Amino acid sequence: MMHTFQVARQSYELDRASIEQALEAVLPEPIQEHYVVVQGRRFPPKQVLTCAIGLDRADFTTHQARRILKRLGFTAARKEARPEDSAPLGAGPHGGRQAAALEPYIGQWVALAGPTEVLVAADTPQEVLAWLARHERRAPYGMFRVPRTTADAEGGGPF
Amino acid sequence: MQVEDLEGVPQRCLVDTGTATNRFGAWIAEAVGIDLEGALEERIVVGGVTATAHHARAQLTIAGVRYDAPVTFCDPWPFAFNLLGQEGFLRYFRVTVCARELWLDVEPEPRV
Repeated sequence: MMHTFQVARQSYELDRASIEQALEAVLPEPIQEHYVVVQGRRFPPKQVLTCAIGLDRADFTTHQARRILKRLGFTAARKEARPEDSAPLGAGPHGGRQAAALEPYIGQWVALAGPTEVLVAADTPQEVLAWLARHERRAPYGMFRVPRTTADAEGGGPF
Repeated sequence: MQVEDLEGVPQRCLVDTGTATNRFGAWIAEAVGIDLEGALEERIVVGGVTATAHHARAQLTIAGVRYDAPVTFCDPWPFAFNLLGQEGFLRYFRVTVCARELWLDVEPEPRV
């Protein structure tokens, strides 16, 4: 369903599908505080709107972007409110929280800023390195491909 | 482990006592600018996958020690991590593993 929004004195027609399509091949930028979830990935609200309508991000605020995206049905949240950090500890390293944080990225390359903080996820290591360089970020907890199977994780090959 | 000057992006590794040389994904060579043109090439099987392997050398930094190590860069690379073996790692470091408490201690050999 199309919605009409006013941004920087211009009128735009947007729907959820057009936003998702605009971001399909886009890697999320670093999250400062606010984010919206688009097809399972967290994006800064201003990045989403910039990609969708092509406006300069200086022309609108994060709150405007959040409000528009929430009206289109996207989940918007603050970085601090991470439910996995308050989840009870389970089995495995970091009480199982790392495995839970990485689950959406199975098969992808990720760079980690902390044990459960995924900076970026992409299909190739080159894309991850390019993103880190572009945003001048470091990945102190490493970059690697999130294993698909136990054999991937433990190094076992087929016999 | 840091490869060459790929600072701030440490690579995960599995210590493999059954591997002679270090084995990394070939994308790392490309990322750090190691030219594999002209490097000794062979076909090997790693993790059940046949890969093209190029034998080269790379500057590695582990436990604060930077050293020059033999590395076999493989394409395709089937694992989510790289392999550290005897020649390129274990002869330079003493490793203590405590599987029960999920830790591993790496100490440089005195001659490094």
